[in-house]
Amino acid sequence: MDTKDRKRSITVGLFAFIGLLILIAGILVLGSQQSKFSKNLLIKTHFEDVKGLKVGNNVWFSGVKVGIIKSIKFKGVRDVEVLMNIEEKSSEYIRKDVAAKLGSDGLIGNSIITLEGGSPDVPAIEEGDVIQSASGTDMEDMLTTLQSNNKNLVRITENFVSVSEDIASGNGLIGALLTDSTLVVGLKQAIAGLNQTLAGAQTAVGDLTAVSAKLNQEKGLIHDLSTDTLVFANLRTSSNQLQEVSDKAVVLMDNIREVTERLNDKNNAVGVLTNDESVANEIKSILRNLNQSAEKLDQNMEALQHSFLIRRHLKKVID
Amino acid sequence: MVKSIKNLLLEFARIHRFLMRFFRELITPPYEFKEIIRQCYEIGWKSFPLISLTGFIVGFVFTKQSRPSLEEFGATSWLPSLISIAIVRALAPLVTALISSGKVGSQIGAELSSMNVTEQIDAMEVSGTNPYKYLIVSRILATSIMIPILTFYVSGIGLVGGYLSIISHDDLSMLSFFTQVFGAIEYIDVIAMVIRAVVFGFTIGFISCYVGYYSSKGTEGVGKAANSAVVASMFLVFLEEILIVQILSFFNY
Repeated sequence: MDTKDRKRSITVGLFAFIGLLILIAGILVLGSQQSKFSKNLLIKTHFEDVKGLKVGNNVWFSGVKVGIIKSIKFKGVRDVEVLMNIEEKSSEYIRKDVAAKLGSDGLIGNSIITLEGGSPDVPAIEEGDVIQSASGTDMEDMLTTLQSNNKNLVRITENFVSVSEDIASGNGLIGALLTDSTLVVGLKQAIAGLNQTLAGAQTAVGDLTAVSAKLNQEKGLIHDLSTDTLVFANLRTSSNQLQEVSDKAVVLMDNIREVTERLNDKNNAVGVLTNDESVANEIKSILRNLNQSAEKLDQNMEALQHSFLIRRHLKKVID
Repeated sequence: MVKSIKNLLLEFARIHRFLMRFFRELITPPYEFKEIIRQCYEIGWKSFPLISLTGFIVGFVFTKQSRPSLEEFGATSWLPSLISIAIVRALAPLVTALISSGKVGSQIGAELSSMNVTEQIDAMEVSGTNPYKYLIVSRILATSIMIPILTFYVSGIGLVGGYLSIISHDDLSMLSFFTQVFGAIEYIDVIAMVIRAVVFGFTIGFISCYVGYYSSKGTEGVGKAANSAVVASMFLVFLEEILIVQILSFFNY
């Protein structure tokens, strides 16, 4: 009887112990998962509209759960204060300039707050910090955008319909291309001509290349012209001199023209000499007379030499 | 009419006296530890196979039946959360209480009423043993302790049943399943489960003992007592369920 009693006690004790163990394990897992036993920081933010956020909803940072919503209360008209419990072990990675955004955990899931942003050079959040809030992706906004997209899509498809109808009926360039066979032949010829032109252009370009290669050789005037500055300076001075020479030539030509004008004129001696025939005859007769006179003078002088009066004196002069 | 109201009021007075006597006898020595352990063994351990099987089946079937409606909008991944909330918040305490009131309630009612009919209780009193302490306090204490513990088993086994039901369709790791399970419930759910289980256990023990202790003399009194122990305790369990849900809804539940 006694051993039976003891056996019973042990059974009952074990049974109760395991039952309590299930409860305690459940509570511990629950606590670790909902971070009730870890140290928390309390931070605040303000929203105009929390869109059905509830106490106990999750707070995410970079997609990781870092805390829960502790309380939600009104602080004024269109001003809802949301208190968040953030795990202390995660808080060092969350900076003071993060923004709280309302989001949802899946398409039909719970509302959550996601913390976004945060720059590394700003200090980490501390107890009691008030962080900024940002408006998140709203389902209604998404649907509005989608609606306008749909409208655009309808218009685009309508345009496509008219374009494809035109193409099918042979209107416009593309339609003609697809349906008109003569146009195709013409186009082929045009392309062949274009090919020839291109071939010619290619040879021309080859020639040009050769010429420029020659220009680049260190011989020839054009190379010197394009490369040697000394030659260029010389050319400049010589062209300057040439300019001077031509200027002088102009003056000379003016003078010559003046002289020839004068020569043509009968008013002066040379003009008379060159232009007047009677004067020339006169001069001829003068010269003939002068000749005769000189002959007679020569005879006279001969006779004089032999005259005794001056012979001695003449001898002296000749010696 | 007046007589029936009078009888009802007298009944209430008797219940109240019975309840007060329980608390009085509970705190005054001597304590019948051996008898309490024996009742725990009878009530808890002997019910365990039946109740754990029931819990497993409830978890398994509930999951299986919930799947089609969640599948309709592609939310089968939410099954663990659904099972967790259903089992921890409602099913585990309720199923345990209902099965226990059937098994334990009828047992206590029949046992006590047959003792009453055969005048063993009077004989006990004559022999110097406090029959209230020995029979009533030990049984009510045993149900109040054992039914919560059975509830914890049922919730654990029910969740395992749900998990087995899920992996017959999807690949889901145990860890992921239990992460989701504990993600869906909160402390208040667990606390509420414990409170419920204690209240249900106490109710079952108390009603069964009361009905058995005050059973009418005669052989038919035994059957009547066993029957009304089960009916009354089940009925009260549901009434208390409603009350507890209403009270908990004040705590943001």
